[in-house]
Amino acid sequence: MDSIFRDFAAAHNPATLPIGKAPGYVLASTICPEPPADEPARFYNFLRSTNAHSITTDLKYKLQYNPDVQLSKQEAAAWMEVFTTFYRFVGFLVAAEEAQNAGQAREADWSGVYDSWKDVVNALYKGYQSTVLAAWTIPCLYVAGKYLRVFAIKADEKTASQRDSGMAFGGIQEEDAFNPDSKNEKLEDAARQINRIFGLCISDRNPLDESRKWALYYTANLLFKTYFKLNSISLSKNIIRSIRASAHDMPALAAFPKAHRVTFYYYTGVLHFLEEDYATAEENLTTAYDLCLSPNVGGGATRKNLELILTYLIPTKLLTSHRLPSPALLAQYPRLASLFQPLTHSIRTANLAAFNAALEAGEPEFVKRRIYLTLERGRDIILRNIFRKVYIAGGFEEAKDGGGQTVRRTRVPVKEFAAALMLAGAEVGDGSGEVGVWDGDEVECLIANAIYKNLMKGYIARERGIIVLSKAGAFPGTGV
Amino acid sequence: MNSAPSYTAVPVRHTLSRPPAPQASSSPEKPKEPFGAGVRAYVQRAFESGNQIDSVDPKIMQARLKSIISEAAEAGTMNTIDWYTYDLPQDFIKREMDEAMRNRAQNGPMTNMNTYGLLSSDGLSSLPSHARKRKSPEADLNGSEQQDGTPPWKKKTGMNGLGDRITGLSKTQERKQQKKNNTMQAHSMDVDPDVLEKRRQRFGRGTPEPSIYVNPRDDSSLPTGPVVGTCQTLEKNYFRLTAPPAPHTVRPLPILEKALDLVRKKWKKEHNYSYACDQLKSLRQDLTVQHIKSSFTVKVYELHARIALEMGDLGEYNQCQTQLRALYKSNMGGNPEEFVAYRILYFIYTSNRTGVNDVLADLTTADKQKPAVQHALQVRSALASGNYHKFFRLYDDAPFMGPYLLDMFVQRERLAAMAAICKAYKPDVGLAFLTQELAFHGEEGSEDDPEAGLRQCVDFLCQHKAEHLIEQKGGEGGEVRVLTGKASLMFENARAAAFRSVDIKGQI
Repeated sequence: MDSIFRDFAAAHNPATLPIGKAPGYVLASTICPEPPADEPARFYNFLRSTNAHSITTDLKYKLQYNPDVQLSKQEAAAWMEVFTTFYRFVGFLVAAEEAQNAGQAREADWSGVYDSWKDVVNALYKGYQSTVLAAWTIPCLYVAGKYLRVFAIKADEKTASQRDSGMAFGGIQEEDAFNPDSKNEKLEDAARQINRIFGLCISDRNPLDESRKWALYYTANLLFKTYFKLNSISLSKNIIRSIRASAHDMPALAAFPKAHRVTFYYYTGVLHFLEEDYATAEENLTTAYDLCLSPNVGGGATRKNLELILTYLIPTKLLTSHRLPSPALLAQYPRLASLFQPLTHSIRTANLAAFNAALEAGEPEFVKRRIYLTLERGRDIILRNIFRKVYIAGGFEEAKDGGGQTVRRTRVPVKEFAAALMLAGAEVGDGSGEVGVWDGDEVECLIANAIYKNLMKGYIARERGIIVLSKAGAFPGTGV
Repeated sequence: MNSAPSYTAVPVRHTLSRPPAPQASSSPEKPKEPFGAGVRAYVQRAFESGNQIDSVDPKIMQARLKSIISEAAEAGTMNTIDWYTYDLPQDFIKREMDEAMRNRAQNGPMTNMNTYGLLSSDGLSSLPSHARKRKSPEADLNGSEQQDGTPPWKKKTGMNGLGDRITGLSKTQERKQQKKNNTMQAHSMDVDPDVLEKRRQRFGRGTPEPSIYVNPRDDSSLPTGPVVGTCQTLEKNYFRLTAPPAPHTVRPLPILEKALDLVRKKWKKEHNYSYACDQLKSLRQDLTVQHIKSSFTVKVYELHARIALEMGDLGEYNQCQTQLRALYKSNMGGNPEEFVAYRILYFIYTSNRTGVNDVLADLTTADKQKPAVQHALQVRSALASGNYHKFFRLYDDAPFMGPYLLDMFVQRERLAAMAAICKAYKPDVGLAFLTQELAFHGEEGSEDDPEAGLRQCVDFLCQHKAEHLIEQKGGEGGEVRVLTGKASLMFENARAAAFRSVDIKGQI
């Protein structure tokens, strides 16, 4: 108990803190469900130092009558409630972790942990709602929201495993048709609770210096994370909308900690990506990527973040600017390399068969990350590359107006494109299965699409069986 | 088994004022302030044997007494009420019971219907609207009549759900009723329908214990398990439940099986959708309340989904599709392949990328080998890459009821194809080519007419104000051609408009 309240007192007397330690974060560490590295047994000590009977008195001495912390009466009362609920929570947590460590995962009551943590969060919530707790303490809300999510996921996993083994009520059948209760009951509840915290912050009318609005992006990011996990991504739009609506009386995004910014840009980017607004997606993802690369952000997390950002930035760039990741870039991220290398190679070599194979092989992973439908559109680029090869292979012919000048041949027979498509493995047969027979209408359709999508300039003269390509820049952006 | 009941319990408000705070009735034994002499005299008066009313149960009276005093304490009227002349609790109760009785006599049949949750087949057409409002006329009456205090039999047991809809029942009556219900339930399996009918007559309307008192059980004693039906009639109209159904209104499985046959036959013969939909909905409801989940359940939902699809009733179709998805997961037979294919096509129709992605994530390799699923996936990939040529070949070759779904978006895809064709083909294309590429085959029954498709294609072009672009080259008898060069922007706009809005009904 002592170490917790030593930190608690220190946070309230910033002068006593070591340089570089923000009081808010020190304070948040006192209710953090993970013990500090230098005191792994903190929670055992806390439990042992008091008991359910005397906790109130003990806390009174630490909070109300403690000369080291000068709290107002209301403040002391608010913290009393927080720590009383926290004490109960620690009891659940320690019991659950012990069961887990003893190999009796079945006995671990993660639902109890979640519910008791929710009580802590509610106690905090009340403190903020009645404006007893000052804005500098908002890192406590970060901890509150973060672990709501963590414990909810654990509780749901536990319930799911019990349901699978038939221990929980209902069994697997009961779950769906007539009782659409979700298997993410706690996480859904957590989303609601975090949303309440979000509401608590966004509705704060205090001047910006002492506003809870500083917790907005952190909380928004938590919500995004939770909604993505719950597969209800569309709810994220509401968050973005409310942030945008109150943008005029919020601190500028640039003033927030970098960690909050990177995550926010990332999720905004991904959301636009999923809505097929690739231009905005690229903007946001690039910002996140650059921020992540900029100095004084370091450590293992950054690497993982960069990898996550690139997972969406690479498909985005493929569509917006037809650019592929360089082998050097992919080499830095083995996971990304295994994900994208086969695809990018097939696009570079204009090999349709290889592209289809790579897309099929990677489908489960692509679908999981929701990039399949975007990557699929890389096929357009391959087709463009095939058509371009045909055009280049057609060589030069003498310009009509004489003068000995040569220009590229701009009238290309459809059958040349058809031959190239079949070489590349396109399935343009006419259904008869005979070798060397193609469906001319389908070849024309593919060409028409390339023209329609501005990947190729020219027109189809169907009756003459030729494609007339533009003399200047038949394939925009590719140098021919 | 601890599953949610299969009906929507509808809490009813009884008074216009706020409900009294919970402490009001729970802690009258420990009054916060000492009672004055007036109150004590009042209590005494209430217990005097000369003041007792026979039809009022003493226990109810006591409870009411407590609540009167605690309400007075809450409201701070302890000292203002003239306790020596104030009406006794039994008077209040008697008055309310009489009132309720009178209302009942007026509204008997109506209320009866509502508590049963049953609309007889010759029924009142006005009832569904009540159901939609989820508030019975009875509740409205109570609301206005009981403003001056809630009777204790409502408050005491915390009946916030169903029990609340039933008024004017003394405790003994209630107990009797409960017993009767319990026995009825226990024996419902072996009770002959004739015996039931006789009993119903014995306790019929208008007798001192009318049937509106069915189900005075409060929520806590409600069986949450399945109902076991005893109804023997084949046809039953759908009525949205707001209370647990009475077993005699629910048909057991063997009857349901016959009922499904009947619906199917009638549908084939008469093609009356409103009848079929109504019957199928009541079938589904009977299955739900009895927790029947079997291959038969799958059959019912499949039939309804197909009929709804044929009639373009997307709301019902979606409900069935959702249930089917869950049923297939627990391997109940049926045709999962067919309905997975529909799901994919439906997501294409609604341009639901997230949905498409999710369905792709759910598919197993075995699923993808099934011809119908493969067809739907090919449709998806053809449209994703803009390959209209392939799409329209697939359109001509859709298995099961796929054409109904494809028809929902074929027009929009034709516009998309036209946008591409107009931009790529210069200066014109033959009408025959367009007709073939866009899969116009003429109306049904005109297969023998070689011109039917061409006419349909011309109609389509005219609909989008492109008639001026159709030309006959080389005079009479020459080829009809369409001037694509000038139509590019026009069809591009039409395409954008067609994709902009898809009305989504009943989607989860």
